[in-house]
Amino acid sequence: MIRKKILLIGDFNVGKTSLIRRYVDNTFDDRYLTTIGVKISKKKILLNDEECELLIWDLEGATPQKSIPKTYYGGASGAILVGDVSRFETIKNLDEHMEVFKQINPNGSYVIAYNKSDLLKLDQIKSLQNIENVFLTSAKNDINVEKMFIALAKEIFND
Amino acid sequence: MTNIQIILNTILSKNIFEYLLIDRDLKVVNTSVGVLKYMENVPYEGDDVLMHMPEFLGFEEKLKEVFEKKDFTYTFKTIQKNGYYMNISLDHYNHDIALVLLQNITKMTQAQQQLLQYSNETTLLYHALQKIIDAQNSLLFVTNSDDRIEFANQTFLHYFHAENLDEIKAKALKLYPYVNKNIKSYNELHKHIRGSEINLNIGNDTFIMQSTAIEETHRLFTLSRVTDIYEKKKSLEAEVEVDALTSVYRKKYFDLRLEQLLKEENNFALIVVDIDDFKAVNDNYGHTVGDDVLKEFAFLLKKNIRQDDLIARWGGEEFLLVLKMDDLQRAMDRTETLRKMLDEHTFKHIGHLTASFGLAWRGQCDCDDANSLLQRADKALYKAKNNGKNRVILKKLEKRGENCIV
Repeated sequence: MIRKKILLIGDFNVGKTSLIRRYVDNTFDDRYLTTIGVKISKKKILLNDEECELLIWDLEGATPQKSIPKTYYGGASGAILVGDVSRFETIKNLDEHMEVFKQINPNGSYVIAYNKSDLLKLDQIKSLQNIENVFLTSAKNDINVEKMFIALAKEIFND
Repeated sequence: MTNIQIILNTILSKNIFEYLLIDRDLKVVNTSVGVLKYMENVPYEGDDVLMHMPEFLGFEEKLKEVFEKKDFTYTFKTIQKNGYYMNISLDHYNHDIALVLLQNITKMTQAQQQLLQYSNETTLLYHALQKIIDAQNSLLFVTNSDDRIEFANQTFLHYFHAENLDEIKAKALKLYPYVNKNIKSYNELHKHIRGSEINLNIGNDTFIMQSTAIEETHRLFTLSRVTDIYEKKKSLEAEVEVDALTSVYRKKYFDLRLEQLLKEENNFALIVVDIDDFKAVNDNYGHTVGDDVLKEFAFLLKKNIRQDDLIARWGGEEFLLVLKMDDLQRAMDRTETLRKMLDEHTFKHIGHLTASFGLAWRGQCDCDDANSLLQRADKALYKAKNNGKNRVILKKLEKRGENCIV
């Protein structure tokens, strides 16, 4: 079975852990419990009739005081860069997270999650749709979560 | 194997470390008994190490390196596994065996997590509060112990045409001179406001300013723009408080404004003006002409004082003036100019007319009040009348308090 490592990267409290929980366990809890260090979850998927396994690294979020340790990035095939649509600065910081990821994994694939999209109004959603590599996700309402993981997985495994 | 197991057993006795030994094919060779609690499945000899340690996926090259280099060591920090937190290190033992050491750091990490949780929640709260503060219609700013603006909300930045806080800091913006030229710092401004509120004019805008102490060092200033309300209030006041004949304020309103001025600690002159020999005007020309003279007299005074000054009719042919001036001599000079202007003016029905002026100076004094000022100005007027009329007389403050600066 082929296994690949993917990372969830972003500022703290953007919903990285919630996206993984929704994808792996199909659960959601809106209480905020900060992640420290890293936790790895596994998810088996079928791609082109072949069983593959994603090792999903839920990384501690970056804070103004502390960035994400670079040692976690090594050996990753892909990343989901997560921002919170209700906190503009977390979206702005995605460029910085992407740069670090690409620096360590030049061949790595990535997608972007504008999470908590359930907080957006309809016109805001329309203006953010159809941006390349960007998924408007909501772990709370289970919007685009699986679609995003599968899109990334396809890109990784097809490579 | 014997040596390494002795060493490992010593470490393990502290119940902090567990281990796996792996060979060059990345297969499990041996494990400590306690390692089971960290694993999803029991690791057996010959198992692929990645089965039990998926953390190594993507690090296969590093795993191979460990067998070649004696001093090789690599650590994955703060990995959550089966409900425990651990540091996982990879160490060289010999060319055939590598040691994977699992250091249980759960308690320490949970404590760190609590701190991080608190810190992150505080940061979120801070951002939320900042958004709320930025959304306020009032201009808010905070000054620090160096008497400089340390924080300002978006409304404040927008009003002063600044893109960001750094621009405000670079400008070293000072608002206290708008309140009073004698105030030299934000700290003094805070003391001046004394938990109350004051009016502040910047350009054509009127603000109500409040100040709150934050700790010992910082001050929060709030400026609520009330230009429209203030203008309406002034216009309404004018309608209610204006003397119907002369169109200047009534004494009652003058008294209120005088009390306000006294609170603001500004220097000013209070002047009582009385038309000389006005009784003769009424006697010779009749009361209708007398009224016209009063109107013309009040108009001339009002026209020759600044918008910021104050004029009211006390009664009969007596008027009250407040001239806001920095020093007494300038106030005396301006009053003299008024006297001269009236003396040189030709009144419509009667031609020449003079007036006498009694002046009291309001310096910074804890024993001076509205009554004391009015009494002094009145006494000065009495003296001006007795000394030949058509003159300006000053009555100085006799009784002085500890803090008198007259």
